[in-house]
Amino acid sequence: MHQQKLLGSRSLILVALLLAALALFPAMVSRYYIYLVALMMVTGLLATSLNMVLGFGGMYQFNHAVFYGVGAYAAALLTVRGGVNPWWGYLLGPVVAAALSLLMGLICVRLSKLYFGMLQISLGSLVWAVVFRWYSFTGGDDGMHGVPVPPLISSIDGAYYFVLIVTVVCLAVMYLIVNSPFGRVFESIRDNPERAEAIGVNVRLHQLIGLVIAGFFGGVAGTLFVTVEGSVFPDMLFWTLSLEVIIMCLLGGWFTFLGPMLGGGMVVALRAVVGIYTDYWTMVLGIILMLLIFFLPQGVLGFFLARLGRGRTAGEGD
Amino acid sequence: MDSASHITLAALGQQLLVGLSRTTILFIVSSGLSLILGVLRIPNVSHGSLYMIGAFVTYSVATFIGGQTGFWVALAVAPVAVGLLALAVERGIFCHLYEREHLMLLLFTFSLMLVLGDVVKLIWGSDYRSLSAPPMMQGSFSLGGMPFPRYNLFLLIMGPLVAVGLWALTNKTKIGKIARAAAVDREMVAAMGINVSWVFAFVFCLGCLMAGLGGALVAPTQNITQGMDHAIIMEAFLIVIIGGLGNMWGALLGAAIFGITDSIGILVWPQFAIVFPYVAVTIVLVFRPKGLLKSTW
Amino acid sequence: MKSKLWLLLALTAALGLALGAGPAMAKTIKIGLIDCYSGPPSTYTNDVRDAFKLQMDKVNAKGGVWGNKFEIVTRDTKFKVDLGLSQAKELIMRENVSMLVGTINSALALALADLCQREKIPFFATFSKSAKISGEKGNRYVFQITENTAMIGKAAAAGLAKKPYVKYWIAGDDYEYGHAVGMGVWNHLKKLKPEVQLLGQSWWKVGEPDFTPYITAILAAKPDAVIVATGGRDCVPFLKAAQATGFNKKVPFFMHTAAELATLRPVGKNAPEGVLGTSNYFFYHPQSAANIAFVKEFQDAYKRLPTVGALYGYITAQLIIQAYQKTKSLDTEKFIDAVEGLTVQTPVGPVKLRPEDHQALLPMYMGVTKKSPKYDFLVADGIVTISPEEAAPDLDEIKKARGK
Repeated sequence: MHQQKLLGSRSLILVALLLAALALFPAMVSRYYIYLVALMMVTGLLATSLNMVLGFGGMYQFNHAVFYGVGAYAAALLTVRGGVNPWWGYLLGPVVAAALSLLMGLICVRLSKLYFGMLQISLGSLVWAVVFRWYSFTGGDDGMHGVPVPPLISSIDGAYYFVLIVTVVCLAVMYLIVNSPFGRVFESIRDNPERAEAIGVNVRLHQLIGLVIAGFFGGVAGTLFVTVEGSVFPDMLFWTLSLEVIIMCLLGGWFTFLGPMLGGGMVVALRAVVGIYTDYWTMVLGIILMLLIFFLPQGVLGFFLARLGRGRTAGEGD
Repeated sequence: MDSASHITLAALGQQLLVGLSRTTILFIVSSGLSLILGVLRIPNVSHGSLYMIGAFVTYSVATFIGGQTGFWVALAVAPVAVGLLALAVERGIFCHLYEREHLMLLLFTFSLMLVLGDVVKLIWGSDYRSLSAPPMMQGSFSLGGMPFPRYNLFLLIMGPLVAVGLWALTNKTKIGKIARAAAVDREMVAAMGINVSWVFAFVFCLGCLMAGLGGALVAPTQNITQGMDHAIIMEAFLIVIIGGLGNMWGALLGAAIFGITDSIGILVWPQFAIVFPYVAVTIVLVFRPKGLLKSTW
Repeated sequence: MKSKLWLLLALTAALGLALGAGPAMAKTIKIGLIDCYSGPPSTYTNDVRDAFKLQMDKVNAKGGVWGNKFEIVTRDTKFKVDLGLSQAKELIMRENVSMLVGTINSALALALADLCQREKIPFFATFSKSAKISGEKGNRYVFQITENTAMIGKAAAAGLAKKPYVKYWIAGDDYEYGHAVGMGVWNHLKKLKPEVQLLGQSWWKVGEPDFTPYITAILAAKPDAVIVATGGRDCVPFLKAAQATGFNKKVPFFMHTAAELATLRPVGKNAPEGVLGTSNYFFYHPQSAANIAFVKEFQDAYKRLPTVGALYGYITAQLIIQAYQKTKSLDTEKFIDAVEGLTVQTPVGPVKLRPEDHQALLPMYMGVTKKSPKYDFLVADGIVTISPEEAAPDLDEIKKARGK
């Protein structure tokens, strides 16, 4: 693994251009597309947060939707049942998700690969069952709708800019983490846990920290979902969504930093567009995925980065 | 509301037997999943879809022929049909992908699940179907004063038969032995001049055939519908994991844990039946992080 | 070849212009049909959609309402709330639909109730049974065109109170619908007949593959009767398990949709007899001219018998059509004023949309499953009608719940 610059000047310009385009976007399109892009960013952030442990840590986190849902539920419950200012919900939602991630991590972290993933699923299903059953508190399977959102960000444009700013800040923080000394140790654990252990790295501790980070940002994505939709429901914690988030990471390119962002956005967009034209959109989605696996095995972004001759972005394994 | 007062020994025994007949279905489906995981290292998410297709084919064949024979013919045809479908998928697509990451294979089987789900909708429509058990297995007989469905008894007989058959196939036949060797060390097997690719095709086909058989056997007891795939696949994965990846007896043990905790939980604490299997899995994995029996991984 | 194509294009354009230059008022009224059209729920939702379309096609063939034709846009939610929400937004914001119709999924229906209030667009809930839709969470823009859990509870309790049973067991789907129906029946039953006892409850997950262990566990407790609060896809496997274990012969049980065609048709002749069930609609009852005509029309169009969903689709379509005929305006607020309190003639007689809570007041039929020589499935026998006045939720309670 070679040392790399944080951002080259060329990528800096690219990022600045992209940001400018995203900032101006609402002025150019109709409401629906503003909403759709906001949703793409939320989903992309969720996938990126998972990729912190999946791609960079090599950990099979199979229940990531739980942290997304718990973050969203915590924010909604604090506002609706706790009666606190919605802004506190935004701050505390991710913290609750991170705490839960720590708790689950303590139980799961000594397991490896598929066993780790399956224990996560089973613990996550317990959390899901609690949310699903606790009618008086969580609203049970009906969920909670019309969750109050601060007036500043309750319009579609307001929600869009809020999502944009939070997403960019979160991405920047995660980028810094990946490129920090911690991030590099974390990656070396993924590539060879035995060797890392042998040179005195506390593998479990690093993995635990990674899980907490991923849980936290998953929770942030959850609170953003509340901003955009004003609803929370138990489906948000279910294992099928967790699996879909993994798919987004793989689709975009799980060894690249921005790949999951792209993958998340693509799945949301595909679902929206194909759903308009046919009831058989899952089949279309499945076929597109199959083709991608065959022809772009490193994911979409991974493929393009490889094409550009700079495939070794943060985290290319061996 | 004292719900524990009615629990008699007879009720407990009855409940145990009902749990064991559920175990049969779970075992048959998850043994196939385990076999594929153990030898091919593919986490086959589309296994549930094949189970669903098995049930739909059983419905179609049984109602087409009709009567007693219809069901028996369907029971033979459906698993084979599913096995052949799996063979086609394996030869057509999977065999080009074995070198990929596990997660990529997972992604691929996931997309296969999406496609197969809609294929079922295209062929059979979105209504649900219902198939009756063959006349000789309808109704129930009394067991210590409690009714026990005849069909569940049939399942109780099928379970051990399938387990022994599968054991004989993997332990007593040449191809079974090769497959087990390939699970441990595929380079070794290849070095001996054996075409590993076809061994894999055989195992994949056999594993999926088990999914089809599970679907065929479950058809008379529930409604045959889309969404069956989602309902079974997570349970099957959890069973395989707690039993030990790739271990057939582990799948049996895991299925028994699932089936029995479920049915006893329903008797003892019915309000919370929904969480029992997950609690069982959590307890097993906390104390036995690699599953109960020896894994091939 | 190419020139022909141009000719065709030119002709189409000319035709379009000619049509566009027609009556200045004429517009299409777009209606978004959003529901789960795949998987088990589609047994119910397809009939809603098809009956709805049938009525709309008929009106369109006659030139629409004062020149405006209806256009229907459908979206399949696959029973996912998040997907349904974004599809609803797409329909509202991109397709610019005038109103939304649909959804069997309660969580999505409640989410849409909230969304449509914010967007000021009418939403007709056609299959979700949640009492919150016209109750606690009701608002000016939401209409419930189906019986809800509160009504099922009241109606069933009225029927059960006349029976001699004392010791009950409640079992059902472990989600809002199951609990609401189960406890709804129970609470009303206790009021009507204070001596009833509850021996215990069991709740199973939605999509439970095997009901045998539940049934044997219930039998072990020896209740006089069982209230089974299971809906949708679990009805069929439950009836099969009941038949296999002889449950219905040992303990009488009530199950809301047990006598419904959508439940009984797939099980065929092997469904259990003697099960007490309620439904808003049977194609064979009442044998009124309106119902016979409705069944014939539906059968001619789709080659199958209509289930209860067809009634909901029909009522929704008629409400929309007649409200527009009344207002002669495309304004949403005027439309709502017109549809509130509207009474439409239906196969089950006149149905009123109660102005206070926007609940359609449908009669409920209670019957017992029985084999019939005429059909290859069971039908309801000894049907009693529970009038909407008996079953409708109390308006004061709704007011109180909404006030919170």
